[in-house]
Amino acid sequence: MQRHRLPLALVGLAALAIVYLGVARGAPGLLELPSWCLGDLHPRLAYILEQIRAPRLLVAAAGGASLALAGAIMQATFRNPLASPDLVGTAAGAALGGALAIVWKLDGALLAVPAASLLGAMAVTALVFVLAGAHGRFSATGLLLAGVALNTLVGALTSFAVTFTFDNYTASSRVLFWLMGGLDSSKWENVAITGGGLLLFGGLALRRRRELDLLTLRDDSAFSLGVDGPRARRWLLLLACGLTATTVANTGGIAFVGLVVPHLTRLLVGPSHRALLPLSAVFGAMLLVLADLICRLVPPDTNLRLGVVTTMLGAPYFLYLLARHRRGEVL
Amino acid sequence: MTALVAKGIELSRGSRRILAGVDLQLRAGEVVLLAGRNGAGKSTLLRVLLGSERAASGTVQLGGRDLAAWPPRERAREIAYVPQEGDHPFEFTGRELVAMGRHPHLHRDQPPQLRDLEAIERALVAVGATDFADRSVATLSGGEQRRIAIARALATEAKLLLLDEPTSNLDLEHALQLVHMLRDLRGCGVGVLLTAHDLNLVAPHCDRVALLHDGRICADDVPTSALTAERVLTVFGVRAEHAAGYFPRDFRL
Repeated sequence: MQRHRLPLALVGLAALAIVYLGVARGAPGLLELPSWCLGDLHPRLAYILEQIRAPRLLVAAAGGASLALAGAIMQATFRNPLASPDLVGTAAGAALGGALAIVWKLDGALLAVPAASLLGAMAVTALVFVLAGAHGRFSATGLLLAGVALNTLVGALTSFAVTFTFDNYTASSRVLFWLMGGLDSSKWENVAITGGGLLLFGGLALRRRRELDLLTLRDDSAFSLGVDGPRARRWLLLLACGLTATTVANTGGIAFVGLVVPHLTRLLVGPSHRALLPLSAVFGAMLLVLADLICRLVPPDTNLRLGVVTTMLGAPYFLYLLARHRRGEVL
Repeated sequence: MTALVAKGIELSRGSRRILAGVDLQLRAGEVVLLAGRNGAGKSTLLRVLLGSERAASGTVQLGGRDLAAWPPRERAREIAYVPQEGDHPFEFTGRELVAMGRHPHLHRDQPPQLRDLEAIERALVAVGATDFADRSVATLSGGEQRRIAIARALATEAKLLLLDEPTSNLDLEHALQLVHMLRDLRGCGVGVLLTAHDLNLVAPHCDRVALLHDGRICADDVPTSALTAERVLTVFGVRAEHAAGYFPRDFRL
């Protein structure tokens, strides 16, 4: 069973992908998928599948996988099962970077928003890292405290940046919609950025799975086993920033995936990153595809945003964690 | 032969001077007890010898080469370490934690090979942890977690072991098992430097006892010569009658 977990999860993801492509409020439906595969679908319907649903599906899958990986990496590097791109401020930093790029009308250039997001994510994460580690040794509590402080500050800065767009309705709605998180405008270039980020940063992280295991030990223990904790942390956090930024730049704010998915996966397969990283990636992809499917199926005039759906899934999870904590269980 | 040699180690924390010129050696095949009061700087000294904490002045050499100049993984194959307390935010199993001890022997993400699995098993057997090796560390008692940590150090197959209070939390049976293990390790040519407060239990099994007092090593000799009544009084503030005769020569556990 253990051996087959990853293939099984991938089959699940593939099944979900087919449902995602075929289930919609309009045509084409599931029954038209075979003829699409054979190439004899009406060009207008094929266009919907190829230029609208498929890129959106792939951005959702790659984005969910990236956020889950970033969360898993951060939970190990901060030695705290609650660390995630949301709580540490990485996602907020990426959002600020992206919002500024849109406000300053740089978003015409292909890589402007992802690059600005990456800069924002790195700046905030580095600042949190320095604030918490400035006095000697690394402290997980310090990191989370600094993360909370920076999150609030960066959130305020983002709002401040958005107010500059209020004289222009189109620009401000664009920023706000982007910040709320959504995949509506996903195109193949967004697939390239999110997928490229996943392959590059995720691939590098997969090669360091045992190092992630060792980072969950005390720094002295990790050191004694040949891992330079602070240095490995910096490098892995950079990868987590890359994963977060290439996602947030295309999807806007999507909360909780990075926290919930690695956490649930750990309950399922244990904390060893050999299994945890790849499975978190697949489950993250599934969660975001499912959440976006829900977004697409509700009546269009309600305009349910993806970030809102994931938050509605994530907030109860915190209550569940609280219940676990009260029972004295490990988080 | 691998030897760890510290000379003139000085280290302060804030205005408090912890180590004020410590000289200490650990050679392969000897068991050395580092003793002293709470807060004397024993754990700090172990970390300096491990290399994870840098001394303000003084040198630490491993095999005649500056410790800091060793590549981390090579160094990790020479010196293993068990910290005073474990702290596991995630629920690894004992076996997974012990398997981490093989990291210095494996390439970046290479899974453990047969030889590694054997080393892991041997380490688990040596500390008597096979029964609970597959349980989550969160469900283990303090003593069981301690044994897992020691097994992880053993799994590295390092020639030098630095153990910070390995006997704390251990029940009598397992404390005795540990001191027997020290003897076996010495037989295999492994050098062990350990701290412990239970001198009665540990000292008779050591080749040397080094007493850390006021930031210096005030005695470094065979147990019976190091632990004189006079020194026990200065170092621990305890009046011990016939301290030198405290450990009969035929003392056996």
